[in-house]
Amino acid sequence: MHGLLETLQFVYAPQVVNGLSIGVAVILMALGLTILFGLLDVINMAHGEFYALGAYLAVSLLAAGVDFWLCLLVVPLLMLPLGYVTERLLIQRVFNRKDRHVLTLLLTFGLGIVLEDAYRIVFGPNTVRVDSPISGAANVLGMYFPNYRLFVMGVGALIIALVWVVVFRTRLGAMVRAAAHDRQMASSLGVPVSRVYSGTFAFGVALAGLAGVLLAPIYSVFPTMGKDFILLAFTVVIVGGMGSIKGAVIAGLVLMQIQALASLYISPVWTEPLLFGVMVLVLMWRPQGLFGKLGNG
Amino acid sequence: MAEAGAVAAAVAHNEKEGERTLNRLALAFVALGLIFAAVAASSGDVFFFRLASEALIFGGLALSVDLLLGFAGMLSLGQALFFGLGAYVSALVLKNLLPSFWLAMGITLAVATVAGMVAAVISIRARGVYFALITFGLAQVVAKVVYNVPRLGASDGIIGIPSIRIHLGLFDIDAASPAGFFLFCLGFMMLLYAACVYLMRSPAGRVLAAIRSNEDRVPFLGYPVGLAKVLAFVLAADVAALSGALYPMLRGFVSPELLYFEVSGNAVITAIIGGAGTLIGPLYGSVLIVGLRSVIGSYTSHHLIVIGSLFMLAVVFFPQGLIGFIARRREQRRLRRVAVVP
Amino acid sequence: MKRKSVATAAAGIATLAVALATSTPAMGQGNPIRIGVDTPISGTYAPIGQQVKWGLELATKEINAAGGVMGRPLQLIYEDGEANPAVATQKAEKLFQVDKVDFLTGTVNSGATLAVGQVAERNHRLMATTVSFADSITGDKCSPNVYRVNAKAGQQSAALAAWLAKAKPKARVFFLGPDYEMGRSTVAAFKAAAEQKGATTVGEVFAPLGNKDYSPFFGQIRAARPDVLYTSVAGNDTVRLFTQLDEFGLLKNLQVVGASGTVTSQNMGAIEKAAEGFVTGVGYSPEIDTPANHKFVAAFRAAYKTPPDLYGADSYGVLYFYKAAVEKAGSTDTDKVRAAMADLVWATPQGSKTMRAGDHQAMQVMYTVKFTHGEFKIISEVPAAEAIGPDDCKRF
Repeated sequence: MHGLLETLQFVYAPQVVNGLSIGVAVILMALGLTILFGLLDVINMAHGEFYALGAYLAVSLLAAGVDFWLCLLVVPLLMLPLGYVTERLLIQRVFNRKDRHVLTLLLTFGLGIVLEDAYRIVFGPNTVRVDSPISGAANVLGMYFPNYRLFVMGVGALIIALVWVVVFRTRLGAMVRAAAHDRQMASSLGVPVSRVYSGTFAFGVALAGLAGVLLAPIYSVFPTMGKDFILLAFTVVIVGGMGSIKGAVIAGLVLMQIQALASLYISPVWTEPLLFGVMVLVLMWRPQGLFGKLGNG
Repeated sequence: MAEAGAVAAAVAHNEKEGERTLNRLALAFVALGLIFAAVAASSGDVFFFRLASEALIFGGLALSVDLLLGFAGMLSLGQALFFGLGAYVSALVLKNLLPSFWLAMGITLAVATVAGMVAAVISIRARGVYFALITFGLAQVVAKVVYNVPRLGASDGIIGIPSIRIHLGLFDIDAASPAGFFLFCLGFMMLLYAACVYLMRSPAGRVLAAIRSNEDRVPFLGYPVGLAKVLAFVLAADVAALSGALYPMLRGFVSPELLYFEVSGNAVITAIIGGAGTLIGPLYGSVLIVGLRSVIGSYTSHHLIVIGSLFMLAVVFFPQGLIGFIARRREQRRLRRVAVVP
Repeated sequence: MKRKSVATAAAGIATLAVALATSTPAMGQGNPIRIGVDTPISGTYAPIGQQVKWGLELATKEINAAGGVMGRPLQLIYEDGEANPAVATQKAEKLFQVDKVDFLTGTVNSGATLAVGQVAERNHRLMATTVSFADSITGDKCSPNVYRVNAKAGQQSAALAAWLAKAKPKARVFFLGPDYEMGRSTVAAFKAAAEQKGATTVGEVFAPLGNKDYSPFFGQIRAARPDVLYTSVAGNDTVRLFTQLDEFGLLKNLQVVGASGTVTSQNMGAIEKAAEGFVTGVGYSPEIDTPANHKFVAAFRAAYKTPPDLYGADSYGVLYFYKAAVEKAGSTDTDKVRAAMADLVWATPQGSKTMRAGDHQAMQVMYTVKFTHGEFKIISEVPAAEAIGPDDCKRF
């Protein structure tokens, strides 16, 4: 009996908490992806590179003496105009063509390649570490857990809730959903559709940037860091249902628990193929993922 | 009614003209290849012959991407999976079983067909971007597996694949001879190209085109959509794998990098820049991209910026790609000529 | 130094015929000896490629200033191998066939070294790696045309195990490696060496390459109560592992040791305090207290504003190796140079090295170094013969 309790406390419990912490990180990445798909029908292959840009902006601001907490606010604000301009200059050009899913995917794929190489030129190829703004670790039931990760989990949950409120409970969100649902109708009701689209893209980019700042102290910063979470984030988005916020949250938490607990029994290398297998099974059962699109709640 | 018939005849006529233009561009590709071979052979070159052979091999991969993208409207972001599969199967056969070209190609074809069917079952139900992301994930997972299996050489890959002689009935080609292997690759790729063209212009190929324009309506015409897509997918897998099977014959090794997303992504870039839906465009595109990478690579370490920007420009301004653009220009000129004659 | 003449630059863009005509150089006395450098200039390994480049450049400058090799200056020709064997082989072929280089070096990852070695063999030319440390390169996958002037993984493990047996007798060791061939073989080599000297293994875990989060393994580490943690992760993975170990408070009362590629000048700036006290076995340290090394480090610092690391030093040394061989052979002919390289003894900043004829592996004194206040300090030495291990090459 004592042995069982100890196993639970020292083997399973930390694994569950770790899975939760990684789950929040992956959901933060998946959130922007799923919103862009749900509202704009755009698969943003450069999402990871925008996440990296957020982290690099934070590194530059920190080096200039800006406080980390201020960075959390300033970086997303800096990313907004950037996302807006990207949508105007690139996405908009192919948005009205027939194969727009594929074309926007290809375009953002090209953008990702260019951005990643650009980071190498501007910021150098070496890894940069960001000091954790909250040091120390908490002792929870005999488990040792860093304070900053607890903070990220809390803030992550807050961000997810805020995004949900903005999309579903504000006038702005209603306009965006209307534009996504029926472009003509929204336009005739006086919604500035084209600007709403650009604004939504900017919002998705800013979310990626915010994730970049938040996670930089845990995962450090380097040019190819965008590739890190992207496969996991896509898996989460596909399983949850592309365009569903609820789906991304549930899929993110469940998949990361599967990964965390499975890694106790199989070599960690094989946990990613395992998650992929889960994704394939879900898709065979429900080709549109677990939950529907954004417009449908 | 008669009017409708005339319109249909005119459309059919234009389609035939378009196909004729592409046929001419394919012949021009062979002619350019032969001219290159003559120039290169007369100056005793080795490097450019082998670089051109590599361009042709990766052109075959881009051709398989085009089969799916240009005809069935299915974007595969993981075609390197089948290219790498072909390369590994061919390498293992040549090194461990028998250094025979035909055996390697036969086993590759069989394995790729089975693997293609399995992958088709997994991915074919998903449409559009879902399909793209599943193929992407599938290739990532297989690449990871290969990277971690010591029996496949793991991260180091397999070296020491013997140089072979290819028996072609009347004569032999030494794969180690730069000119000989280049001409062989040229012939081989043109055969693959001709087979693809034949299939895509057959009634079965037309079903794919119908799927591309409106998938939901095709079943009402009495065609099984699923079967047509599976066949297209397996055909593309075979083309990619047979191209990949030539790689170890050229370079003497295989490594997990051949399965990476860079290779899949590069094939998509090549097909788009060359001209999706033309089949010959990807081969032209591959020569362009491989050549460009080799030249730019010697001057800057940031060739990705150049190729990525070029790709974005192509997507925005030349969605028909190089060959699509040329074919359309010729078509417009012809139409003007026809219009002048009353 | 200009990488290409204007003529070849034009040729690259102009027609193939022109390219072919201009790129066939005439050989003769006084003409430069061409050294091909097939190294990653872009991509993840670019920082290592940078040290390789600097080391080669410095040696070239010195050798040419002192009259070259047999009166002929050295000329370096770079190509970006991208640390991808498929690219590196194509570039190697260009260097051999178009640029007609006499000798090739610069490959970084072991996959590229092995594949490029095969290209060298098929082109009947010699090459040397100054970075790759997979034992197989001079072991079961050895090639008569491939040499290694840097220390292999086995030599590094031997040095580290010898130190560990003295510093922490009967240590309880936990192993954490990246899950790929290189990571596993490095762990296996050190495990064997350490166990033989009295250490016990209390656990081992392999994390995926490019792993994001190591915290899922910390429970196992904590439960095993080790007093030494051995790791062979590298690059970005090291930064994450050490940061997260620190974050979770695991570094207290734990001696971390590892492979020579784990903490390098590329990532030590990012790890800082978290790597304090880290010990590894290496073939070079800028700390080595000899006049030759002082001179080398001073020249390197003056030219590139940063100290050399083991990659820079061994890349500097490889040109002196080639110079010594060519002068002994009296020619750049492949067979004559190969004969001259057999058991060749030459001088490097870290002392004299001997090229073992049986497997083409350089023998050298090995060091263990400790990361203290942002720098590696030498803490012990192992003689060359003790660290080298048996000759496993059966091809020649």
